[in-house]
Amino acid sequence: MTRPGTQDKNSPKQRAKDRIIAPVSRDLNRAGWLAVLAGMLWPVQAAVIAWTISGWVAGTQDLGGTILAAALFAALGGLRAILDHRSGAFLFRAADKTVARERAAILRREARRPAGTGSASIAALTVQKVPVLQPWITRYHVAMVRVSVLPVLFLLLSFSLSWVVGLTLLVAGPLIPVFMALVGMAAEDASRKQMVEIGAMNNMLLDQLSAMTDIRLLGATDRAAKDFETRAEGLRERTMAVLRIAFLSSTVLELFAALGVAMVAVFVGFTLLGEVTFGSWGTPLTVGEGIFLLLIAPEFFQPLRDLATAWHDRAAGYAVVEELDALDRAERAELVGHGERAAPLDGVFHLRSTGAVASLPGRQIRLPDLSLDAGETLALTGPSGAGKSTALAAIAGLVPLASGRIEVCGQPLGADTADAWRARIAMIPQRVHFPDIALCDWLSPQGADPGPALDMAEATGIVAPLPDGLKTRLGETGGGISGGEARRLMVARAILAGGDLILADEPTADLDDVTADRVIAALLRLNADGHTVIVATHDPRLAKAMGRRVEVGA
Amino acid sequence: MRPLLHALRLLVGAAPRAMAQGAALSVVVLLMGAALLGLSGWFITATGIAGLAGIGIAFDVFRPSAGVRFLALGRTAARYGERLLTHDATLRALAALRVSLLRAHARMGGRALARLRGEGVLTRIVSDVDALDGLVLRFVLPVLAGALAHVAVFVALVWLIGWAVAAVILGTYLVAAIAVLTWLGRRAMAPAAEAETQAQILSRGVIDMIRDREALILSGGLGDAENRLTGIDTQARAATARLDRVERHAGLALAVTVALAAAGALVAGGMLLSSGVIDPAQAAIGFFVALALAETLLPLRRGIVELGRMADAAARVMVTSEDAAKSARAPQTLPGTPLLTVATPKAAFTLGPGEAVALTGPSGSGKTTLLLQIAGLEPAEGVLIYGVAPADMDETDLRHRLAMLPQRSALIAGTLRDNLTLAGPADEADLWEVLDAVSLAEHVRQRGGLDAMLGEGGSGLSGGQARRLAIARALLRRPQILLLDEPTEGLDAETANAVLNGVRRFLPEAAILAALHRGADHPVFDRAAML
Repeated sequence: MTRPGTQDKNSPKQRAKDRIIAPVSRDLNRAGWLAVLAGMLWPVQAAVIAWTISGWVAGTQDLGGTILAAALFAALGGLRAILDHRSGAFLFRAADKTVARERAAILRREARRPAGTGSASIAALTVQKVPVLQPWITRYHVAMVRVSVLPVLFLLLSFSLSWVVGLTLLVAGPLIPVFMALVGMAAEDASRKQMVEIGAMNNMLLDQLSAMTDIRLLGATDRAAKDFETRAEGLRERTMAVLRIAFLSSTVLELFAALGVAMVAVFVGFTLLGEVTFGSWGTPLTVGEGIFLLLIAPEFFQPLRDLATAWHDRAAGYAVVEELDALDRAERAELVGHGERAAPLDGVFHLRSTGAVASLPGRQIRLPDLSLDAGETLALTGPSGAGKSTALAAIAGLVPLASGRIEVCGQPLGADTADAWRARIAMIPQRVHFPDIALCDWLSPQGADPGPALDMAEATGIVAPLPDGLKTRLGETGGGISGGEARRLMVARAILAGGDLILADEPTADLDDVTADRVIAALLRLNADGHTVIVATHDPRLAKAMGRRVEVGA
Repeated sequence: MRPLLHALRLLVGAAPRAMAQGAALSVVVLLMGAALLGLSGWFITATGIAGLAGIGIAFDVFRPSAGVRFLALGRTAARYGERLLTHDATLRALAALRVSLLRAHARMGGRALARLRGEGVLTRIVSDVDALDGLVLRFVLPVLAGALAHVAVFVALVWLIGWAVAAVILGTYLVAAIAVLTWLGRRAMAPAAEAETQAQILSRGVIDMIRDREALILSGGLGDAENRLTGIDTQARAATARLDRVERHAGLALAVTVALAAAGALVAGGMLLSSGVIDPAQAAIGFFVALALAETLLPLRRGIVELGRMADAAARVMVTSEDAAKSARAPQTLPGTPLLTVATPKAAFTLGPGEAVALTGPSGSGKTTLLLQIAGLEPAEGVLIYGVAPADMDETDLRHRLAMLPQRSALIAGTLRDNLTLAGPADEADLWEVLDAVSLAEHVRQRGGLDAMLGEGGSGLSGGQARRLAIARALLRRPQILLLDEPTEGLDAETANAVLNGVRRFLPEAAILAALHRGADHPVFDRAAML
């Protein structure tokens, strides 16, 4: 139970503050006080102006005095601008530190210990959403500091001259926090609605763009565009209905500010004319005091208005923190070792697994007992989901063991041996991914000549027709090469990696017979070359081509 | 710059009336703000003079005080109207921008269309479109409204006070605004582009690192990859920091501009006052108006900073429609002309109505390319439909005659009916008949009929069901030529058999060409063509 008026220690908002604001609170406080200092200069500037104009009215101010006052006003304005500039520097630094920290945490974790969240959504979180924290950090906090000091100061100054003006502001002022709560909620709602609207429109766009081949082939372009227009129109109407109300409540805030200025002006005017005789302390209000009050009134409301506009920055920031928190809590696959480059493990090649149980997020999988010497070929078979791929991953140290042991070259596979062991392995994964780099760099990051390996994998003919040959960037959609071609390129990549042990996960899945035969032949050539080969497969022909066969999950 | 203007025309054109009204109200808001502060300053000074002179009774308090109240209320109301109109117009513009993008992309070739399936490409398009969303609201409208407000204020001040004050205010604002904003625009361009480029590289890099994780770990390159990405992040943030610095410098210069304009107006007012042309109350107006006009200047900063990014995005997104006006020949149904003639270096065959040919060959032999060539999505030599090359045919006519199931068919979010009638309405009986032809009717009944919802990309169906729905969608077009790229992919042998028979039954007169790597010996095919 939360007591009213106190923030629960574990409330999402409190946690968001602890995570994002607390580490940079020093910078934020400095920035806040610089901004307050800048705000405090305004009454001085106002006093200079009030002195000048009242001098004009009294006929005591000559042109020299006016020029002096103008210079003073401009100089103070410049000083204010410099203070704001410095304050902005602290704020940016705070935001930049935060973005750097949150990004580094994601970059150092998501590939090492993946959580099963899609790579595209991790990329979006890292690149697009983390910077959304910046407006929250740079605007909201400083607005909060200003709002807690400046209105009070201006109120006291107003009261010292006229209790009616002071009272006007005092009544309008506290009313504003009340409205703020309403407006804040409405603004939050409105901005969220608008974000949802734009998000929905973008999802529609994504959906249709990714079905564009089908749409074009069906001759449905016009219809799809019209359909999009109709749905966008519906979204627009619904959003506008919400915005009409949301803007109304933020208009109330502006109304108070505008009316505050108008009431001060009218009251001061009537007092100066002598038509109103109450409201000041003993001596009647002078022109200078009137001008001063007029200049103070809008600035009394300004911090409140700034805070209102910063409100939705905070809401957007909270949403990002929630996503970051959720990602922190996600269950993760662990890695054995560090994934760093290491000298290949010493010793005669041998692989033995006894009683090994792989530990995956949320479940454990019993792995088959194996013993394998150099130059052997082995097929792991069994129904889908039995743990064939997991067995390969465990052998490569990509998945930790809950119990049992895997011995490699006579040593237990563990954190201190995994990197060196992996230096002796090459793997052909089931899923292809071509990063956005030239094909030759993908085949061999060390820059080895890919020619012989491509020949061995029967992949030379794949490279030849590509637009830039080995310099082609295939990109994430594979640049138009077929599944079988991609598989053969992966075999070539494994050959170039040059490990003693080749692990291949379903290397012939989804391939026609001719292509599957080519891949099998390439694997056998690798074996003849002295490599040990383990495949996970349910292709009976590939299983038969291997020297031994072990049923997983039996 | 041209693509940016193109984007601007599109955005404004989506709702010119609302946009114009919104712009007019923005000017009204700015003018009323200036008038409110100017009138208030004048009123207080004038009442002060009258009070001192003891002629308070004779002073007309009614009109100025009513004016002050009217301006306060009017400004608030105008602001409300402005917000509503500009947001309404912007939402319309957002839709228009996206529709135009859809149409432009629909004209692209087969390979370019296939690339649209990559998440990187799609997120890039969306982030470009998002960047353009702000063009009107954050740049064009504030510049326009600010300029108009300044002109109006200038005229009013000349009339009310005199040339000197009006000229000082307009001159200071105009010269400083142009100088500062031009400087900002130039200086922001490079870091903004750099920040965006690095962000895109970082985004790709994150996706690549996570997807290529196993290979990176096995080659011991995980640490290097992390370091590389951290380095890119450092560069991206360094560019953002440079951008922030120029933006803050510009903010400082703009704040000084406001102070100088107000100070200048004060001095100009003092000069006119000392030469006896105006009274102190008139002299005060200039200062207050100059102060209020700060509102015209400060919002411009953001828009200018984003301009480089917008220009960049527009250059990518605003694909020019070059091949719109192409002479199209309508094919003549001459007796004896085969429906489809293929005479490429790799394959040669003809296809008449009611015939079905299986296209076979190892993967990579060009089956998909040939089908895309026939469908007019790839440049082709030696492919003729009724004696006319697909590229020379009118797009509507070609789509009317020919339907194709692509290798990786995609569904859209919506109901089953939405997916089936993507290309045009169909009656209930037709829909059920076609579902029956692809052996999907029973399953659709179990899901609760044609109005069952599918998620984004048609999620909710299994791979084989989605495939069959895509086949059904192509059949509903009742084309003369049906091209099928791996129609039985993901189907078990029994269903594959039923689907192929169903297709033939549903379109007895159509010429069918199917690329297959299994089942080319199925009885529905009259022949097989080997690539």
